[in-house]
Amino acid sequence: MAGQSIAQKIIAHALGREAVEVGEYVTVSADHTVCQELFWPGHKRNLERIGVDRIPRPDKAVMVIDHSTSAAMGSHHHETHRTLRDWCDAQGIENFFGPGSGLRHLVMVERGFARPGLLIFSDEGNIASLGAVGALNIPISTEVIVSLIEDRNWLAVPPSARFALTGTLPFGVTARDLIQTIIRDFGATDRLLGCCVEFTGPAIANLSMDDRQTILASLFHSGAYTGVMPVDAAAMAYVAARAEGRPYRVVEADADADYVLEARYDLSAITPMVTRPPDLHGGVPVETVSGQRIDQATIGSCAGNRIDDMRAAAEILRGRRVARHVTLYITPGSREVYSAAAREGLLEVFSDAGATVLAPGCTTCWGYQGQLNDHEVLISTQQFNYQGRNGSRLADVYLAGPYAVAAAAVAGRIIDPRAMLAVAA
Amino acid sequence: MDETLLRGRVWKFGDNISGDDGIIEFSIIREGFGKAFDEAALRAMCFRRLRPEFPEQVRPGDIVVGGRNFGHHNHVEVSVAIKASGIAAVVVESCESGIIRRALNVGLPVMTCPGITAAVEDGDVLEADPATGLIRAADGRVLPSRPFSPRMVEIWRAGGSIPLLQREFAERRAAAAAR
Repeated sequence: MAGQSIAQKIIAHALGREAVEVGEYVTVSADHTVCQELFWPGHKRNLERIGVDRIPRPDKAVMVIDHSTSAAMGSHHHETHRTLRDWCDAQGIENFFGPGSGLRHLVMVERGFARPGLLIFSDEGNIASLGAVGALNIPISTEVIVSLIEDRNWLAVPPSARFALTGTLPFGVTARDLIQTIIRDFGATDRLLGCCVEFTGPAIANLSMDDRQTILASLFHSGAYTGVMPVDAAAMAYVAARAEGRPYRVVEADADADYVLEARYDLSAITPMVTRPPDLHGGVPVETVSGQRIDQATIGSCAGNRIDDMRAAAEILRGRRVARHVTLYITPGSREVYSAAAREGLLEVFSDAGATVLAPGCTTCWGYQGQLNDHEVLISTQQFNYQGRNGSRLADVYLAGPYAVAAAAVAGRIIDPRAMLAVAA
Repeated sequence: MDETLLRGRVWKFGDNISGDDGIIEFSIIREGFGKAFDEAALRAMCFRRLRPEFPEQVRPGDIVVGGRNFGHHNHVEVSVAIKASGIAAVVVESCESGIIRRALNVGLPVMTCPGITAAVEDGDVLEADPATGLIRAADGRVLPSRPFSPRMVEIWRAGGSIPLLQREFAERRAAAAAR
């Protein structure tokens, strides 16, 4: 048998086996199951229908209210919050995080639930961001309830691909530009289909933990199933500060592990990207769409709401004003990010620039806030750009990194953010 | 294992069909996040953009055959729409594992089978067995597919994860009561 990839090793370990075969269907118990609240009404109906009294492992559940943080008037969300909170209390689930705690992607790493070598069942592919600390995210959609009820679920052992990263991101270019380039190259193909992408190479040492999470959070748009970064000194330092005595094990691939695809990216060749609607693989260099007027700009979502994103936005916004015809929403991804942004004076920069800072949560990314009218144009760090994502089906959504979004908010139209950064510097 | 062998008329589709923006039109129905599915509305839009006659002419037990990267970008409503249309199985060249999960969770088997689109034509009768991984074309040619695990077969046969758990929990309660 060929060597084992990181994904194979983590799954085999969870099964108590030496090895697993790619494509094999196995039933496995995960270290944690993480779940958001939006589908809770349906989960609750199913729990009642099945007649579940007690879940077997309440300690493994991490329940986070991140999609509907404000329980706004006219919505049913306040009921969801109440019934989820009550259910967690009744089940003895201590890891319940209420509105404003942040996205489960961030809660999982910041509070040390995700650690090297752990297997995590979650409800979304973008939670692959946990791979930044060497944990393996297996997205199982609405079946998170099955994992909570049974403390097991089936999965198909994914094939692996390997991306070697070299070079350093140039001035004014972010990790978001890199992942939009990867999505442009692979998103319309099935070459990464179902893969766990292992990132490797000397460039990773120069990528912050936030950069690594940004890359992994949008990786699923390339067709990949999940992904992991190497657990290097930076990752170990991050984990050690948060593990609080809980176990972990750094997993490396065997030298003869089998990869269905190997690709290389030279980071020094990446340029600022903007993804045009309505396709996720519609990435083009920013100059191609330069001049496009916008009505709204949003910085947030699991693809762009960490402290590095806040700092990048502030670099552009410091001493500048959002254009008169533009609304800019900025959403820090968690309480930790919100507090850091406050300590560093970034919230003041945002407010002075005329931006609206929202409570930690998914907010504008799924149209919960910042709805668009017909023919309005949004540029955002969010995950999706399909028609109707943020309100009207006749609105257009462009995707970009935090520099380009903040620069567009100031200019009132899409521009190359490097011009503003050069002036600021 | 004959009881797991499916036999149905083929609806054949091409490569790179989007789930949310092809098989269904997710942007029309997304207001329903977190609510029960409107199966009638999903059935009425299922595949209509690619084959306008599909919602009218699909019959219970028909089988969908798809190309590479079938149903990419799919919310669970895509699986619900195909299942609600009466489709017994989906057999594709390739697809992301997410759609295999979401479909199985509502009782619809999705099987990957490299070579399937060259082996069958629209309207052919195709045989597919998720439990054994057997796929047999109208001309008798057998193609390989990976068999479902025993637990996956149980989920499929029960009509999805929730019906299976419902039955198992009821059996457990009955057994406890009988003791």
